[in-house]
Amino acid sequence: MREEELDQAIHVPARLRIMVTLASLPDGDDLSFTRLLDVIGLTPGNLITHLRKLEDAGYITTHKNGSGVTARTAVALTNGGRAALDHYTSVLRELLDSASPR
Amino acid sequence: MNEETGTRKGPEPREAAMDARGAAVIMQQARERAGSELRVRRPLLFVTWGLVLLIGYGAMWLSVRGQRPYDAPAWPTLLLAFLLLLVALIITAQVVDWAASGVGGRSQMQRGIFALAVAAGFAALEVEKSAVASLGASRPVQAVLGIAAPPLAAGLAFVATSALAGRLNWARLILGLWLLAVAAAGAWGGPVTALAVCALAGGGGVLLMAVIEPRLPRS
Repeated sequence: MREEELDQAIHVPARLRIMVTLASLPDGDDLSFTRLLDVIGLTPGNLITHLRKLEDAGYITTHKNGSGVTARTAVALTNGGRAALDHYTSVLRELLDSASPR
Repeated sequence: MNEETGTRKGPEPREAAMDARGAAVIMQQARERAGSELRVRRPLLFVTWGLVLLIGYGAMWLSVRGQRPYDAPAWPTLLLAFLLLLVALIITAQVVDWAASGVGGRSQMQRGIFALAVAAGFAALEVEKSAVASLGASRPVQAVLGIAAPPLAAGLAFVATSALAGRLNWARLILGLWLLAVAAAGAWGGPVTALAVCALAGGGGVLLMAVIEPRLPRS
């Protein structure tokens, strides 16, 4: 097993943090963009770019509720995203197991 | 998503390379951070409410244990219980608000249902108490109902909402069943015993849950 087999859409520090953070929420929950910004600690521009990449991969969805000053953008992990993170985690575990001395 | 930034598109972020070990560290840190930011600190709530039961009911019990026949707890102890309740509600609101800020979806609905269940339960029990009083029930009977009602209402709400959103909340289920047992057992001994049971078994049980809860499985 090689590191190239890790899902490259996730295998970036910021995107990995985003995925793990969203996966910590119960199924069916979402997180506002501003709270995600607080938890992850990225700049808004960087977060948007990473979210877009994850959205293009089908791992997250974003939707906007309300309008004007009450507008709230929510981000949620998709079922595919949760499965992709699970797969990423098992590949990572195998990599670490194969690298550790027996 | 750009209303927060006022920009159409952010700059392309620099994607630092990481190896498998680095990824594992990042995952662990992200899990811990998300846990501390987004999870309700239940042990803190258990300690808060355990102390409310222990001190609130305990003070009332100390003021009535010599009464023959039973009359009522001394008014300073009732005031103390009310103030403790108020403080606990404020702490609960702040702890939940801290963790739930920005979180939407099923959990939000679940919290709403739980709050509604507790509020409706207490309101219904107050009506019951008035009804029992108007029917001429004795002071001890009214007192038993008033003492056992809060753990009964809270216990029912805990049990009823322990399996919402497809996940079993073990802490909520165990605590709910325990509070129902406390309410039922205390009532059998009359108002003085009920106060002692609610203080010691009720408060002690909730305090114990602060220690047990982090070790329970999360399903």
